[in-house]
Amino acid sequence: MYRPMNSPNPNSLKSRFTKGFVKALIRINKNHPRSASSSISSSPREIRRRYHKIKTASYASMACAVGRRRAWSRALLWKIRNQACNGGVVRRSIGSRSHYSMKKRVEQNKVNELRKVVPGGEGMDTWSLLEETAHYMKCLTTQVKVMRTIVEIHSTTT
Amino acid sequence: MQPCSREMQEMNSLLNASASASQLSLQDHHHLQQQQSHSHSSQMHPQTPNPSASHFDSATHDDFLEQMLSTLGPSWASAADDAPPPPSSNPDNVVFSYDDSATLSSKFRSQQISAGSGANKSASASAAAAAAMMLQHQLMMSRSGAADSGFSPMGLSLRNNGDFDRSNSDVGDVSSFKSPNTGGGDGASSVQSLFNGFGGSLHGAANSQSPNFHHPQGGQLLAQNYGGAGAAMNQAPAGGSAGAAPAQPKPRVRARRGQATDPHSIAERLRRERIAERMKALQELVPNANKTDKASMLDEIIDYVKFLQLQVKVLSMSRLGGAAAVAPLVADMSSEGGGDCIQASANGGTRGRSSNGNQTASSSNDNSMTVTEHQVAKLMEEDMGSAMQYLQGKGLCLMPISLATAISTATCHSRNPLLQNSNNNPVIPSNGGDGPSSPSMSVLTVQSATMGNGGVEGSVKDATSVSKP
Repeated sequence: MYRPMNSPNPNSLKSRFTKGFVKALIRINKNHPRSASSSISSSPREIRRRYHKIKTASYASMACAVGRRRAWSRALLWKIRNQACNGGVVRRSIGSRSHYSMKKRVEQNKVNELRKVVPGGEGMDTWSLLEETAHYMKCLTTQVKVMRTIVEIHSTTT
Repeated sequence: MQPCSREMQEMNSLLNASASASQLSLQDHHHLQQQQSHSHSSQMHPQTPNPSASHFDSATHDDFLEQMLSTLGPSWASAADDAPPPPSSNPDNVVFSYDDSATLSSKFRSQQISAGSGANKSASASAAAAAAMMLQHQLMMSRSGAADSGFSPMGLSLRNNGDFDRSNSDVGDVSSFKSPNTGGGDGASSVQSLFNGFGGSLHGAANSQSPNFHHPQGGQLLAQNYGGAGAAMNQAPAGGSAGAAPAQPKPRVRARRGQATDPHSIAERLRRERIAERMKALQELVPNANKTDKASMLDEIIDYVKFLQLQVKVLSMSRLGGAAAVAPLVADMSSEGGGDCIQASANGGTRGRSSNGNQTASSSNDNSMTVTEHQVAKLMEEDMGSAMQYLQGKGLCLMPISLATAISTATCHSRNPLLQNSNNNPVIPSNGGDGPSSPSMSVLTVQSATMGNGGVEGSVKDATSVSKP
């Protein structure tokens, strides 16, 4: 826990995510080879699909790095697998209505909004939702950091 | 105190009547075995803190409860299975259950000691101490009166936790049972306060019963206490309610004086406290969050999560290269709701900046940025999608200022200077010289002109920044 920042921890969430994500990127590049200046040749549709693949790969590798420990990672993996199978099945459960006063209703609406944003948040109570949100935020920041670094490296080398 | 002494007397009488064990019920016999075995064990086990505290600390209170229940289960079951044997085989049965209860008692006592010492630290310690004390109290109550020497060590250990109980029970009492903690001997009052901690209703029921039924009640009391403790501990991982020290070793929550004591409001209060605690933790994760109230805090959390997701999207798009090709994507993305997370206060960005006019982007970086900013601000008022498209056409993208500052400060590439568009606002110094067309990001801060005179820093959410990928 008190590891110095310089020495990378091979088992950290960041390393695991990075490995998985880079592998996925390599795989995507292999399947769809593109030259650096071929923005014209590839249609917007292809570009969109490629972007979607990259985005999915990012989320999937993060969810895999987290494993099945967290509800949100499980939900994310489930969703991705379903997307792969049959073009996306969205599972929605209706949150409970609150009978409280106006202020509490507003708050409950916000909580429901948070549920929509966090994967797997639909079927959770508020307390677990907040916990999942915290972990999800942490993982998202890691994701963003790594992706940004990759982009930088990529843009400096090409 | 009175019920306490009464119970002691009964147990003694029952012990003496052990010859007629056939008349006892199943639980009675079970307790009998516990008593006899405990009288052996208590004299033999010194009270030493155990390294088992470490294993205990690592487990959550839920796991600990399951552990305890599982360890208890076989012993109870095995003892129960043997009953009711004829009186002549009593010694055999006592010997048979000796090991189980001896190990149990030693384990619980050692855990309880370590828990008692560390009870200030964690709720799990208090839960474990509570459970340990429960069993220990049960065992102690079932002792024969002869082992005075053994009583005092137990009394000592119990006194520690009894102090907790006494201080806590002074605040108020959930149960209908009155707490006789005003005086009396240490041992007895601590015992009594132990009883207070474990469910007044149960204890009240036990006390109100006729003396003959105390033993079966005791067994059920223990079982029910475990069930109640489990439920209560599950509900209160964060510690007890207000008005009680967080290190209380009881699984139940004390109510403030004058507040409702029905379980619903207590559960509700616990729930609210837990949620508030989590919100505080989340608040620390979200940058620049000052919690005013729950709704706004939730808003900030939602926006931050959306922003992070948008960042992932943008980063996965930026790898594709070619701004022109990405423009349709951007339009889609902005319509997806990416505009929510970009906190742009585009309240008219055309004040007093027309002097910069129509200089082209090639003239100088500064001017181009300024012109771009104007355009973007104007566009953002009308339509977020077109603003994004415009930016993408220039090879720029939009991100909140926190990211911008993070990028500019974190990376060590030479950067284009940061600028402010408004004439009033001071200029943020750049990181380095004007580098060559470096692929590294250059960050530009677009401050809405309506930020007023001051407020360069403004609120982070009210500023947008434009960056070159």
